[in-house]
Amino acid sequence: MLLAIDVGNTHIVFGLYQGKHLRHHWRLRSNRATTADEVGVFLGRLLRGIGNPSISGVAISSVVPPLTQVLVEMSQQYLKQAALVVGPGVTTGMPILYDDPRQLGTDRLVNAIAAYERTKGPTIVVDCGTATKFEYVNGAGEYLGGAIAPGLGIASDALSERAARLHRVELVRPPKVLGRNTIHSIQSGLIYGYASMLDGMVARIRREHDAKARVVATGGFSTLLVPATESIEIVDEFLTLDGLRLIYERNIGQ
Amino acid sequence: MSSGLFLAIDVSNTHTVLGIYDGKTLRHHWRLQTDSGRTADEYGVIVQSLLGGVGNPAIQSIAVSSSVPPMTQIIESLCQTYIGVTPLVVGPGVRTGMPILYDKPQEVGADRIVNAIAAYERTRDTTIVVDFSTATIFDYISEKGEYVGGVIAPGLGIASDALFDRAAKLYRVELTKPKTVIGRNTAHAIQSGLIYGYVSLVDGLVTRIQKENRVKARVIATGSYATLLAPESETIDDVDEFLTLDGLRLIHERNADD
Repeated sequence: MLLAIDVGNTHIVFGLYQGKHLRHHWRLRSNRATTADEVGVFLGRLLRGIGNPSISGVAISSVVPPLTQVLVEMSQQYLKQAALVVGPGVTTGMPILYDDPRQLGTDRLVNAIAAYERTKGPTIVVDCGTATKFEYVNGAGEYLGGAIAPGLGIASDALSERAARLHRVELVRPPKVLGRNTIHSIQSGLIYGYASMLDGMVARIRREHDAKARVVATGGFSTLLVPATESIEIVDEFLTLDGLRLIYERNIGQ
Repeated sequence: MSSGLFLAIDVSNTHTVLGIYDGKTLRHHWRLQTDSGRTADEYGVIVQSLLGGVGNPAIQSIAVSSSVPPMTQIIESLCQTYIGVTPLVVGPGVRTGMPILYDKPQEVGADRIVNAIAAYERTRDTTIVVDFSTATIFDYISEKGEYVGGVIAPGLGIASDALFDRAAKLYRVELTKPKTVIGRNTAHAIQSGLIYGYVSLVDGLVTRIQKENRVKARVIATGSYATLLAPESETIDDVDEFLTLDGLRLIHERNADD
């Protein structure tokens, strides 16, 4: 089985693939000070819980540099696998038309690859995670670039920390857009405000590039936000893991 | 008529703005950092020196709007000690001339009522105010001039600070509008997400409020990011940096009529 590991700023997500099928997935807090042994014990425990499946490969995408090495060591020591770390030199099958491809966060590229695999046409990826990231892939399957906005979670934290009279609210859709009390007003600003941000960015990207571009959403807040949007059709919580699987297949096939 | 001047003080989470009015005309304005750790004497010295710089005008009356409770007392005390005037603090009991249809009217921040009054005074019609401050605040005023409700989203400044603090590989960028929405480098991508992302948030919320209430409202923007974002917006009609100060002037007039 293939173990795909997506290291984000908030969580590390592990996905276990049998062929194309995601069989199991787990989520660990992204703690920059953690060690290979700690992660090894955590993962070993979880793998034992599902009968110790044999792992034949590991693929990693990381946007947290100090954790990349931790996971490579963990794979080596606890899974006896040399991990494939997505980065320069790894075959992805997608031309990157970024000024400096090394500057591009690997999660963004991995998402673009997974999304294009589904649509096989011009595609916009919306990743609603710690940051809200937009990627654009043209009809020829080339990565053109993107946009990065603050994520819903960190923006909502900032609002309750920095505005004297506003307290933290539950992240649910309020009855109406226009609030008649502070809680509903904040819920509206977060949910409808962020849904509007997604719709507006999709509309602007379509206007700039291709009116027929399809939209694929992922990320922790996608299931909450997408139903409030008007332009997003496809949601896949595990898009990044799936992209890692594709890249892994393209590299072992060589 | 200008034997006495009027001082408007707008205390928000990030800045405290002071404006001196001669009748309806804003003569001078200053912006200070809001810091409730400062004392009335510290603010008093700053305000005295600013007033000294414009020839020590005679202030006859003062009105204050504060969305930071610990600052209210500091400002009141500064007005009494250093200017010799007891200020009118906008809050429950102050006549505003605007019915408030909020579940609990005392929950609506003073700055929001003050903005709503100033905006409605201009339009005399259904109006949406967008205030780009620490939070991005939307207020909806009915055609009859009632304060109906609003929306509160995180402000551009605090949300972008959070992005740079919390995302390991992202660095701070200058807040300017990039040439295209899709950026080919990270700095450009962040500028696009902040500027076009925020404009999208604002336009989308305004459109949703209008659709929900089946109206086409006039949209007036104020606050520190209004001049940066309004040119890209498809819904904002006017920008007035000093809307809150102007609302304080109006409330002061309505209360001085007695």
